[in-house]
Amino acid sequence: MKKKSNFIRRSLISALSFLKDSVFAEEYTSRNGFLQGIDPRLKVASFALFFITAIFLKRAELLILLYGLCLLLALFSKINLGWFLKRTWLFIPVFSLLIVIPALFDIFTPGETLFTLNILRAKLVISRQGFFGARLFVMRVIVSVSFAVLLSITTKHFALLKTFRIFGIPQVFVMTMGMCYRYIYLFLKVVEDTYLAIKSRVGTRLDYKKGQHIVAWNISALWNRSYHLGEDVYGAMLSRGYTAEPVILDDFKTKSRDWLWLFFVVIFFVIILYIDRRVL
Amino acid sequence: MSNVVFELRDVYFSYLGKFEALCGVDIAIEKGKKVSVIGANGSGKSTLLHLLDGLIFADKGSVKFQGKELSERDFNDEDFSRNFRRSVGLVFQDPDIQLFCPTVKEDIIFGPLQLGIEKEEIKKRLDELVTILNIGDLLNRPPHELSIGEKRKVALASSLIINPDVLLLDEPTAGLDPLTTRHIMDLLISANASGKTIITSTHDLHIVEEISDLVYVFSHEKKIAKFGQVDLILEDIELLEANNLAHIHSHRHKDKIHIHPHVHLGHHPEEENLR
Repeated sequence: MKKKSNFIRRSLISALSFLKDSVFAEEYTSRNGFLQGIDPRLKVASFALFFITAIFLKRAELLILLYGLCLLLALFSKINLGWFLKRTWLFIPVFSLLIVIPALFDIFTPGETLFTLNILRAKLVISRQGFFGARLFVMRVIVSVSFAVLLSITTKHFALLKTFRIFGIPQVFVMTMGMCYRYIYLFLKVVEDTYLAIKSRVGTRLDYKKGQHIVAWNISALWNRSYHLGEDVYGAMLSRGYTAEPVILDDFKTKSRDWLWLFFVVIFFVIILYIDRRVL
Repeated sequence: MSNVVFELRDVYFSYLGKFEALCGVDIAIEKGKKVSVIGANGSGKSTLLHLLDGLIFADKGSVKFQGKELSERDFNDEDFSRNFRRSVGLVFQDPDIQLFCPTVKEDIIFGPLQLGIEKEEIKKRLDELVTILNIGDLLNRPPHELSIGEKRKVALASSLIINPDVLLLDEPTAGLDPLTTRHIMDLLISANASGKTIITSTHDLHIVEEISDLVYVFSHEKKIAKFGQVDLILEDIELLEANNLAHIHSHRHKDKIHIHPHVHLGHHPEEENLR
């Protein structure tokens, strides 16, 4: 019983700390690195080109080259490579590997036999086409995820949100996203404080079933609070002149270095896709 | 022309039609005055400020702003709404409600941007406020990273930047350290000196004397128990006691326990010594 209760406690603390570290870590965005200095709009545009490149490349060597560029950019942006690799390799590639496993076998991807596995007297054949297809898929995921993480850790969240507007996303959506980001933190704090308040009254020896009840009550209390907070915040917006369409200040400044960066990325995009197509 | 900014006549308001918050309130606030609304928790002070700010509307009675009765329909008119919001600013009790943007700077300039104030003018006002409030290093930070004192300063800046004629403040010094309280008080006094009407809801009697020409005391019955000049109200210990604004205090003095009503007001030991 105690183990289970500890499990809830540990899970709650880990989840809160993970959310705080991952969503609200502003440490890297404030560093004086290469990508941090690029105008967020041009940075998003250039990263969109990297994503497109990762999707269309068919040669593994070129994907490795693109990944190398990503790591190089991380290095120039003063990102700790160990931390960056841990963050990108830990989760999403694991899921992509799980998704891709069935595609390895000739049942789903028929073709030439590459390996034959004997598992519980069952013969499983990995086809050459399946293996190379799966490898390409995993590599594309790794490269895309790495670029996505690099973009998010070198750009302040509010700037990233504002750049959504260059893709024609309505201001009200951008603002709502910004507010969600703002209030998730507040609710995380509420959850954390509630947990401490419970701990101070009942200690750590909490029956598993009782623990479940407390969690359920908290969810309901949090729901109530978020509902009232929503009303109050809307009142605060009205009080300062909000009507239906929010106005946001666009104060980005583009320097010649930013345009040079975009030019380099476009050239890189054209050359790498040309090589990819020509060699094939 | 009448000098009255807000006039309330026999105003009733209840939440969800069953939780009474104001029961027959009459108030008249003149332009350029400092007015305080004091009372215990739950006596209707915040509700009154929300009514004055046109966020909620009276169930019964009338609320007039510059002679015009406020109704929900008026706020559907964009011109009226914009002019009203430019004239009246509210600083909420909980700064977390007021600071909803991803950064401090965006929060401060949110109001003037919505009200169509020129960008150059916004920048000028922002620079001025940043200097006055000394919040330059906070501008690019997310509000959740700020201390309560910093949040209150930013919330105040986000209303002051609109440059309203009437400033409504809901518990502006709650939870603040003495120095920050002093800073905010000085700012309010200087805003009043420049012609703004200041309406403050509080139960902190330390600040009432300085920021009030007139004081309204709200009772547990959610109506006005008494109103008048600040010194007359603060001298009425019986009234303050009856409305949870003063308490019975006991302390030991020369081996004897003294019990007497106690009001938290500013102390001036030098003056006391001179008497």
